[in-house]
Amino acid sequence: MSAFVRRSWVARMLMASLMLTVVAQGSVPADGDAAARPKLAIKAAKILTMDDDDTVINNGVMLIADGKIVAVGKQSKVDIPAGFDVIDHGDDWILPGLVDCHNHIAGSLFDLNDGVYLTNPGLRTVDVVTPRNENLENCLSGGVTSVLLIPGSGNNMSGFGTTTKTFGNSTEEMVIKAPGSLKIAQAGNPERYWYRVGRRFMNWNLRQTLEKAKLYHDGWTAYQKGEIAEPPTFDIVWSDFRDLFDGQFPVSVHTQIYQVYMTTITMLRDHFGLDVVTDHSTFDSYKLASLIKERDMYAIVGPRVFHFDSRDRTINGCAARFAEQGIERLGINTDAPVIPQEDLSYQATMACWYGWNDHYAAIKGITRIPAESLGIIDRVGSLEAGKDADFGLWTGSPIDPRSVCKKTFVDGRIAYDVEVKRRTR
Amino acid sequence: MNQRRLHRSATMALMLSAAIAVFVSAAQAQTVLLENGKIIPVNGEPIEKGSVLIKNGRIEAVGASVDAPFDAKVIDCEGKVIFPGMIDAHTWRGLDVPNESPGVTPFLNVYDAIDPSQLFFEDSLRDGVLSIHVSPGNNTIIDGLTRVVHPIGLTPEQMTTAPDVAMKLSVTPKTGYDRMRQMAEFREAFRKLDEEMAQLAEKKYEDKLREDEKDLTVPPEEAREKGKELIEPKDIPDKNRNLLMLSQGKLRNFVYCGAAMDVPAAIRTAKQYGFFDQSVFVLGSETFKAIDALKDAGRPVVLDGNLVHTEADALTGEEEETFVPKVIDDAGLKFALQRQWGSTLGERYLWYQAARCVREGISRDHALKSITLWPAEMLGLGDRLGSLEKGKDANVLVLSGDPLKMTTWVELGFVQGEKVYDKAEDIRLNRLFAAPEDELGPSTAPVSQPVEEGHTEVHQGEYEEPETDQ
Repeated sequence: MSAFVRRSWVARMLMASLMLTVVAQGSVPADGDAAARPKLAIKAAKILTMDDDDTVINNGVMLIADGKIVAVGKQSKVDIPAGFDVIDHGDDWILPGLVDCHNHIAGSLFDLNDGVYLTNPGLRTVDVVTPRNENLENCLSGGVTSVLLIPGSGNNMSGFGTTTKTFGNSTEEMVIKAPGSLKIAQAGNPERYWYRVGRRFMNWNLRQTLEKAKLYHDGWTAYQKGEIAEPPTFDIVWSDFRDLFDGQFPVSVHTQIYQVYMTTITMLRDHFGLDVVTDHSTFDSYKLASLIKERDMYAIVGPRVFHFDSRDRTINGCAARFAEQGIERLGINTDAPVIPQEDLSYQATMACWYGWNDHYAAIKGITRIPAESLGIIDRVGSLEAGKDADFGLWTGSPIDPRSVCKKTFVDGRIAYDVEVKRRTR
Repeated sequence: MNQRRLHRSATMALMLSAAIAVFVSAAQAQTVLLENGKIIPVNGEPIEKGSVLIKNGRIEAVGASVDAPFDAKVIDCEGKVIFPGMIDAHTWRGLDVPNESPGVTPFLNVYDAIDPSQLFFEDSLRDGVLSIHVSPGNNTIIDGLTRVVHPIGLTPEQMTTAPDVAMKLSVTPKTGYDRMRQMAEFREAFRKLDEEMAQLAEKKYEDKLREDEKDLTVPPEEAREKGKELIEPKDIPDKNRNLLMLSQGKLRNFVYCGAAMDVPAAIRTAKQYGFFDQSVFVLGSETFKAIDALKDAGRPVVLDGNLVHTEADALTGEEEETFVPKVIDDAGLKFALQRQWGSTLGERYLWYQAARCVREGISRDHALKSITLWPAEMLGLGDRLGSLEKGKDANVLVLSGDPLKMTTWVELGFVQGEKVYDKAEDIRLNRLFAAPEDELGPSTAPVSQPVEEGHTEVHQGEYEEPETDQ
């Protein structure tokens, strides 16, 4: 009996793994050779370029080659050179691949937080990027092509994030920038440390860590400027912070309620002068929009897109509240897997439903804005010649929940095709 | 203070809560004349009909007749009372938690945890408490620095009246500790400070010798002694800076003595480590029993929010009640009253606490000083706050009547010369007083309208369940 059960269990496992293999093979081409990066001319009813001039091209065509965009324009104005295969997508829309500032699923969900210390300056998420994992395969069905993979918010400083594509065969192929950010959570989860910690302790401790890092950076800067003769001792933990203080990448902050959002602005931005992305602007943080505006900062809303103010019994759309106070650098995030990564566009949909009336701005909030805030706008976030050929072919506006993303391209390769395998987005 | 910033913070506070009546009519602090009111300056005799002139954020003149510049905004206070903003001498409200888990954290600062969005601040403004000494709670050993704030502003920077006012300590044992352990922790903290400072001095002296290319072989004792004067402020590690200031007698300190038996320990400790001359004792309700020791010490005290100490006789079971402020007042000590914020009764108002003092035979003068001038002096802000005097910060209240009268409400509040509260605009309060048929509707308000929230547990109510996401 037991032998039978065991054999049966093994058999089931074998079956299952066999099926997984079949599924993997049945999806999309994975090789990085030229055949997978064809020269294409894609015609569509509408191209939302999301460029600086907010250009929308009706009856347009986009040329891609070698993983890059060659040209975008009206079909009547762009000549299709020889060697480009023409795909006519009739009534569909072309959109830049969507970008998310707050993602955990591009890595391993078992390696979110190291729980020993409250600040962990030596950790990097680039070590856990997991190409072609099931969550990433799903996320492509929502047209999401670039994400910031960050550690969890269980510590005040949990490590360096990685901006990465959502498709590719290896970490090297996928990664855009590593480090892509420094992840900080000033409160909201780290208080569950093994002995309880309050905000006085957490903020003091975090500030001390950053002061040490800054001291290291200032020492090396002084050396490079010739102000001191001897170079400081190299330190592998603090060396990552040099680019941070040089503004090469931002701090991405798990902000939260009012007080936490406020200390992000006063400590990280004002005191340390860091480039800050508040990629978790939820609860009542919109009450601080005036401070964000004064400093020209980005506010990225999510995973909660509305806040019920129990004091005043009001329902507030977080994005709408930011927008009505004049915040234009306004984006949306998922915090995947809290909200599935493929549902990034639904997040924008709901932000609109809760009163954000500028629907174009909402699309910008899941493409150009997050790409700008992460400093990767030179490669992704809009459709312009020279940029990476990351885009989605949609049946309509991505924030209309009736729309479907039919195909997703990453670096000129087809990464998702609804006709090959439909995923239930 | 930067007036523009205060204005901005005032308008933002309006947005913080659509219901609160906080508005400012002009971008710049105006020159304001409050005239025809009864002035209770606290530091002197009341003036039955007089005026207060506010200019550049300060009180410019107080008197029966005051010459006002032509451009002053004149507010008629006929039938009203003009009174200094009240002062809460000691509270942990406004923070997320009263104390941190570690007991010896002199390097911490309430700045890092003050939450301007708490309803506590809005209520303080409404209640006329215009200066709040935010301090760590009593469950500690050597805690961090405190701050005096006004209850209006977007950030602690905007709210600050005076930063880093005092250090909070407790000789009463922290949870899980006994008194011997508590005292041992004090000894250990100061011994460690001495040792680290000595090591620093030694290093500084050796560095100096090395720089001068002199012989390094000096005895450590000599190096430690001679190196002392070489230490510059920037050499002192952050974690020791506040404790060092305390031990040098340069830092005001609030020492909690929860029981009578803690008073001698507090006095001894404060004297031993050199901070006694800057001490204020924060008392528990039974601490008055050490009145002789407190009287000898002659330091000002902050009283417990519970003004009556009740004790049952061990043999007869007969209950005996003591009105604590009377004992303190009779001993000639300067005292400050605290609000008992968790109370749903009158103890949560400073005026009520003071009124009860008068009921129990304390002079009206002392009762009023215990919520204004005395706490100001204890905080080292006697030259800025606590009374209506020329040159002080214009933290001024216009009351509908006598401050100790039960029907009195704050009508106008000025912080550093800016009008930050107007009862006419206080939607929450107006709803409280509205007739049922009134559009505002008091108790039958539909859910779509703002309603008054219960006052208990405000500090926790602000915070939703911790998130489950990463």
